Amino acid sequence: MSSDEFAIETRDLGKRYSDRIVAVDQLVMRVRRGEVYGFLGPNGAGKTTTLRMLLGLVRPTSGTALVLGAAPGSPQGLARIGALIETPTFYPFLSGLDNLRVLARHAGVPETRIGPALAEVELAARAGDRFQTYSLGMKQRLGIAAALIKDPELLILDEPTNGMDPAGMAEMRAFIRNLGHGTRTVLLSSHLMTEVEQICDRVGVISRGSLVGEGTVDELRGQESLWVRAEPLEEAEQVVRGLRGIEQVARIDGGLRIAADSSAAAAINRALVEAGIAVAELRPERASLEKVFLELTEEAA
Amino acid sequence: MTRSVAAELLVIRKRASTWILLIIWTLLALLFSYIVPYIQYLNGSSRTPLTDLLPQHLVGTLMGGFPFFGGVFALQLGVLTVGSEYGWGTLKTLLTQRPGRLRVFAAKLLALAAALVPFVLVVYGVGVLSSYAIAMREGADVVWPSAWLVLRGLGAGWLILAVWAAFGILLAVLSRGTSLAVGIGILYSLVIEGLLSALASEVSLLDRFVEFFLRANGYSLVAALGVSAEDVSDRGPGSFSGPFVGGTQAMLVLASYLTVLLVASGWLLRRRDVV
Repeated sequence: MSSDEFAIETRDLGKRYSDRIVAVDQLVMRVRRGEVYGFLGPNGAGKTTTLRMLLGLVRPTSGTALVLGAAPGSPQGLARIGALIETPTFYPFLSGLDNLRVLARHAGVPETRIGPALAEVELAARAGDRFQTYSLGMKQRLGIAAALIKDPELLILDEPTNGMDPAGMAEMRAFIRNLGHGTRTVLLSSHLMTEVEQICDRVGVISRGSLVGEGTVDELRGQESLWVRAEPLEEAEQVVRGLRGIEQVARIDGGLRIAADSSAAAAINRALVEAGIAVAELRPERASLEKVFLELTEEAA
Repeated sequence: MTRSVAAELLVIRKRASTWILLIIWTLLALLFSYIVPYIQYLNGSSRTPLTDLLPQHLVGTLMGGFPFFGGVFALQLGVLTVGSEYGWGTLKTLLTQRPGRLRVFAAKLLALAAALVPFVLVVYGVGVLSSYAIAMREGADVVWPSAWLVLRGLGAGWLILAVWAAFGILLAVLSRGTSLAVGIGILYSLVIEGLLSALASEVSLLDRFVEFFLRANGYSLVAALGVSAEDVSDRGPGSFSGPFVGGTQAMLVLASYLTVLLVASGWLLRRRDVV
């Protein structure tokens, strides 16, 4: 496997707990260096198990993985990875600052990085307070600060907006977007479409432990189409089919779905009106990521 | 490695339970080694002669509390040091930092080994003050035990506590938590070792078996430092009436326990998934 192009590369990665329980099944995933990769899947699809395998917390029962060119869990790899898996877990009796001190010492990074990391997540004012007194949003931000003190090349974030209020979620998304700019790679696991749609360069969809779709958000949503509601429908279909450049026309929900982008809308409208057909509605249409996600995961199920 | 140990020492030092265990253990040692026996002596109801409470007998008086009472406190400290990491989920946070699993584990062990030193030194400090105060009050000569005997006592005390702490660590790793580990640890020390040791005097078959218990070897080790068999046979739930083995054998058995318990814990920690 080449580690130059990809920050993460898995080959037939699998985790089987028993004959009946297969958490991850022959997963092939490639995350390019410098991209924000969304790892999308319903609850229980195998996202967290995959991330745990990539961090060396869980041993795969089959397949291989390379993370930043190193075996998962190896000190060489972990030194360049910042991770937040599920809820942030810290010592409740220690302050945020002391918790980061503990992690910095274990990670072998200078403690001078703690201050900037706390400032970056806007937690410096509460750094001296015990972790157990933090709100969920503050805990998540401390988790991000912990991931940042290593100035990592790769950030692995597992549902970082879990349990946050809408304002906190928006703030966290903007923050992750900024983190992803530049040379840093971000692997973001989520089950929230809007989150992935807003933040990620590419998306992988996992269902029942297998990757069932991968691409940019636009690629996954497919080509734009036009939707027309007109009377009489049969005649409208004949007219549209007769137009140059129109190849696919389908009758759906009392209307026509035409495989064409919005630049063809005016010509279609003109042709229909000239043929004496009443056009009640003509609009561009595109599958939402949510729809694609549901189709992909339902197919896999 | 030094910085990982410093990280673990920070966690142990700032944890309230460490200080609570140290304070309770010290108070119990003071109460049962000096205060109660001295009150009994003053009332004329004591079987403990005054000489046992004077500085000269410092090591023998203090060491009787280590094999059981000290052991139970060390067991809890060991369980809390490792088991809480599972409960809080901090183990996965630590293991996603730079060091490998065994390095994190080794750092924890070294920090815990250092944390056990005050558990021995503070009790000895309290013993020094108490025995000196009693000698002054009774107008007795103040004769201190030899430095060599004190050093051996400190070392033996640390070894006994370390073995029990290692037992706690193994239970914590096995159960991936604290509650079950503390429960099983105390059940083992009180019921299994306690009852079988008590029965050993009546059932000869158990004699050889009991010789390998932590309690038997702990008491045998302190017996070699001047703790009398009569003294430890009258210690309530921690009482022990034999069989005793030689001091060197006891030390070797305890050192073997320490090694086996820690290797088993490290092996399990390295092998198992952290979820």
